Amino acid sequence: MLESARKKQRLSPEVAATPNATDRTEPTTPFRRAISAGPTPESRKTPTFRTPGTVARTPRGGPATRPISARRAVPTTPHAIRALRERANAARTPGNSRRRSGRVQRETPRDLLRNLSRALAQDSRPVEPEPQTLPRRSRHSALDLPDVADSPDVAAPRLSMPLEDMYDDDSFHERPPRQSLLPELPDDVDGGTVQSLEFGRRALSEDPRYVRRASERFADFSELGAVDEEFEIDGTFINRRRTGAFDPLLDQTIVEEDEDTVEALTGRRDGPSSDADLGVFGQGDDDTEEPTFRFHIPEQIRAPIEEGAEEQVELGDTITLPDVAGEEEEDLEVDEETPPLDEPEETGALDVNEPTEAFGMTGWESDPGGDDDLELAAYREEESALDRSLQVPEAPALVQKRMATRRIELKLSRVGLDYPSFPAAPVKKLALSFMKSQGSKAQLNKDALAALVQTTDDFFEQIGIDLAAYAQHAGRRTIEESDVLALMRRYVTFPYLLTRKTSSNTTSFSLAQKMLPRELLQQLRMEPQPKLKGQKRKRLATVQEEDDE
Amino acid sequence: MAQTLYPRGTLKKIVKAHANRPLSKNVDILIYLNYVLFMQELMKETSIKAKQSGERGISAKSIRRVREGCLRRCKG
Repeated sequence: MLESARKKQRLSPEVAATPNATDRTEPTTPFRRAISAGPTPESRKTPTFRTPGTVARTPRGGPATRPISARRAVPTTPHAIRALRERANAARTPGNSRRRSGRVQRETPRDLLRNLSRALAQDSRPVEPEPQTLPRRSRHSALDLPDVADSPDVAAPRLSMPLEDMYDDDSFHERPPRQSLLPELPDDVDGGTVQSLEFGRRALSEDPRYVRRASERFADFSELGAVDEEFEIDGTFINRRRTGAFDPLLDQTIVEEDEDTVEALTGRRDGPSSDADLGVFGQGDDDTEEPTFRFHIPEQIRAPIEEGAEEQVELGDTITLPDVAGEEEEDLEVDEETPPLDEPEETGALDVNEPTEAFGMTGWESDPGGDDDLELAAYREEESALDRSLQVPEAPALVQKRMATRRIELKLSRVGLDYPSFPAAPVKKLALSFMKSQGSKAQLNKDALAALVQTTDDFFEQIGIDLAAYAQHAGRRTIEESDVLALMRRYVTFPYLLTRKTSSNTTSFSLAQKMLPRELLQQLRMEPQPKLKGQKRKRLATVQEEDDE
Repeated sequence: MAQTLYPRGTLKKIVKAHANRPLSKNVDILIYLNYVLFMQELMKETSIKAKQSGERGISAKSIRRVREGCLRRCKG
């Protein structure tokens, strides 16, 4: 094909010169015309061979069906059109002379493209891919929680297209396709045989009959149910817990998977494959499997889990979720009052709140499922790892749902006081106003809003702790305005505050004037005025003077 | 009177729970001011991040990416 095409190209002028044997039309007919371009000039010209009488006698549909004048005799009926086109094609098919070398075959757009490519081939050179700088990871890549996702990004060279971010954080370059549930390990870590081993979900499949790949196992629900029933664990327990409205199949996969596996594991922990798994757990000492499990749970499994778990929530507070119940067996720090579902959220808050840990507060009552637990679990036994791995996928969805349904749920602070979450509506309003002021018209979707609310809570947590420290330092019990002012003076860089703040030319009061509505400002003014007078009035800019009075 | 910009009581409760200390009468306004500044910062960073990664709106992912830095900057 390629050869013939080359020949064709070489010989085409010559061919153009020779009159085509099969062509009935004039030799001047442009032979370079793609068939796809519609009726060829030949097909249009063929009627000229007809005598006028023939034209007149041909049956027509009538003048209305003939937009073009009869003299041109362009075929109008589909039959005629097709016939003419076929005839024209036949004129261009080689027929007997098919094998003659150098014959121009029917020209397709592909030929045109090929010719174009030949014409361009001289001065174009192959594209060299830009050297891809893989972001180096300081940590074990499987340890990355999605929350903190490598915020100190190395500034990648800017591409004209956002190729890197087209996929998720980790582009497909660093993540070759893997088994869906296996943890992703970097290449230098010797994962040993992890890639092909059943990992962390051994509980269901301790039974050697069911040791399989993850994807296979998730594929079939029915078999999963069968497995569960073959487990000799108390089915009554599960049945008692069932709400009844469940699809029994899904129900099994949700409920039983969680608690049965725990119990099954406690029974026989040292199964045949436990050695291999232990090695892996020791290596990725922490929450190795968290991100993987969180993200790769297939949809069809995840949806039922959400439903089911929510129904569980509505069952009442006395019944804790099965997975949490499993967890409570081992870590005793779980508070009874804590709604069990808060834990994943708090873990999310935890990694951000590293500063507060550095502050010296280590005991977090509200996050028993947090890092400590992860480490402990990693050292102790696989069962918790297992049921965490089963628990985690449903966690974010649950948190979201709860945020939507019951907003006023109480969380436990560090010191053991419960507090409500900051309502989402003001957060949204604020965020939207800022977005608008930045000129973007985009809307906040639900996920983003949830993230914002969570950030808000984290912020208040941080600021509360900070303010407490400030007040304590000042020897006071109550937190006062001066503490907040001191805190604001400490803010390192709000970029737009940077120049003004560090030069301490502006007070927080003028900021308040800028940001806050009048009524709040008024209330603010009533009290801290004397303090402001002492500290700030000297430094106040002239603009500020009359406002302060 | 229109409703306030934010639920004052809630904010007080939140901060009080975290600080384990009483708050003086109008601190929460200043705290809220801090929060507004923080949010402004956060939204700005987020939109920058979102633009860098070529998203159209603002996604939860970009928020999560910038928020640690923002929180850290607001650390007293």
